[in-house]
Amino acid sequence: MGIRLYKEPEFENSIMFCGWPGIGNVGMSAIDTLRRVLRAEEFGEIEPFDFFYPRKVRIEKGLLKDLEFPSSKFYFQRIKERNLIFFIGEEQPTEGRTRYAEGQKAYEMANLVLDVGEKFGCQRVYTSGAAVTQIHHTVKPKVWAVPNNENLVDEVKKYENTILMSGIEGRSGQGTITGLNGLLLGAAKARCLDAVCLMGEIPYYLQGAPWSYPKASKSVLEVVTKILDVKIDLSHLDELAERVEENIEELLESLYKAEVIPPQVRDEIEKLRYARPTEPGPITEEEQKKMMEHIDELFKEGGRKDEKPL
Amino acid sequence: MKNLCKFSGQPKFENPSLIVGWKEDAGKLSPKVIEYLNKKIKSESFCEMEPVGFFSLGGVAIENDIAQFPESKFYCSERNDLVIFRGNEPQLEQYRFLNAILDVAEHYCKVKELFTISSTVAPIVHTSSRRILAIFNQQQLQQKFQGYGLEDMNWEGPPAISSYLLWTAERRGIPGVSLWPEIPFYLAAGEDFQAIKLTLSFLDKRFNLGLDLRDLDERIRDQNIKIDQLRKEDTEINKYIGMLESELSLSGEEQMELTKKVTELLEKRE
Repeated sequence: MGIRLYKEPEFENSIMFCGWPGIGNVGMSAIDTLRRVLRAEEFGEIEPFDFFYPRKVRIEKGLLKDLEFPSSKFYFQRIKERNLIFFIGEEQPTEGRTRYAEGQKAYEMANLVLDVGEKFGCQRVYTSGAAVTQIHHTVKPKVWAVPNNENLVDEVKKYENTILMSGIEGRSGQGTITGLNGLLLGAAKARCLDAVCLMGEIPYYLQGAPWSYPKASKSVLEVVTKILDVKIDLSHLDELAERVEENIEELLESLYKAEVIPPQVRDEIEKLRYARPTEPGPITEEEQKKMMEHIDELFKEGGRKDEKPL
Repeated sequence: MKNLCKFSGQPKFENPSLIVGWKEDAGKLSPKVIEYLNKKIKSESFCEMEPVGFFSLGGVAIENDIAQFPESKFYCSERNDLVIFRGNEPQLEQYRFLNAILDVAEHYCKVKELFTISSTVAPIVHTSSRRILAIFNQQQLQQKFQGYGLEDMNWEGPPAISSYLLWTAERRGIPGVSLWPEIPFYLAAGEDFQAIKLTLSFLDKRFNLGLDLRDLDERIRDQNIKIDQLRKEDTEINKYIGMLESELSLSGEEQMELTKKVTELLEKRE
């Protein structure tokens, strides 16, 4: 199990941004967009063999040409005297049981990522994910921020459009961040390394949807670019968000018409359209559970069947 | 390696090849080929891999009334210079598992070539002759096997454990070939003796084993008689098999029906 570095940037006092896939691909899409826009250069990877089963084999004229694994790559860039490291993991190591990383493999990967960060003087880690909540898809998502130590709280409070867990009604500062986007915060804490997870809000009725939710990624990026004091062109995320929103509207409309979504569930979703962003959601947990029974089933049916391996 | 493997013998080899088969396979091809081979060449187990770390071990599976347990065993036939591995596909730590197989093969047995055995399900009729599709990890080996009747293939998709092993072997410089004999889709849940025989015939030719496979001819004949009888009794099944014989494709529903009826027929205990 190891790290392969192709280059060693001469970095001190760096900031690391990490992204793995998750709900609505909110975090990974945000971090990867930042990496691409800032043209960060690849400089290393975590070898996949101990974490992932290969996802594709390529055979040509009877010869095994290649086996493709999910990648876990490091990139670097220097912007305005700031040294930035990016880590993008195409998959979370799951040990075959859960969708998100947990257990020994996850902890090993989190520590490998931090090993590279610390080797290049990392002082701060940002991860990103999705915050599933009662908002409508037409509403601008807020960003939930979770720091891994108290010293960061005041700083995090200053971020625009951002909310701490204690600011969310009914949560009393409690919650869980599933998978590596959360675990990395803990692993960093164990090393006394500052870390913050930024989670873009996603409507709970879209949490099982097979598409990404760029609107939330954009909210995360707005926070990150303020932190870095850089301006980047996010127009492509706007276009993407617009298209996704249209698709959601069309889908919901067709489902309402076909009565696949019962009128009661429809009314609950529509209530959210007019809720003020700062308002706590108008739906009880019980109602939400009932609605999710219908909506999750819907997305499950659309799932792609696996091909037979060879 | 010592921690992962328990050795019970110290066989001597000259220039051995490793044959790898898995306990679960469509048409029971892989386990049956290994079972027949082990029996015919009187090979003996000399090493076993511990299951801890590779299998969930959260209980035991029950198959055909019998409790099962993951098995990963090496067998040898010094006379034929063959190392044979038979095991369950690992559920966890696949890369470490495959490397452990190759560690025993390379460092302990000095294996020179790898052969993996797994079937591939095809839309063919049981009365047709089978093909062995082959995937090589080195071009030189592919050239060496011209004349053995193996068929090249093109494919992209999720890899099976045999392809993963072949790739791992290539990284270690061990030449290898994965053999993928075709199985008619409606025999996938049962046993396809014709494909089993074809695979054993290939190994017989490659390693000059002098295998007597007449008992398999009998099994093929018996199976064909049973299916012929079903065709006489069931006009739908006769139609579906007839369509396959005419190289016409069946709908998903027709395939399901044919598979269900043939599986039920072959599962009946005499």
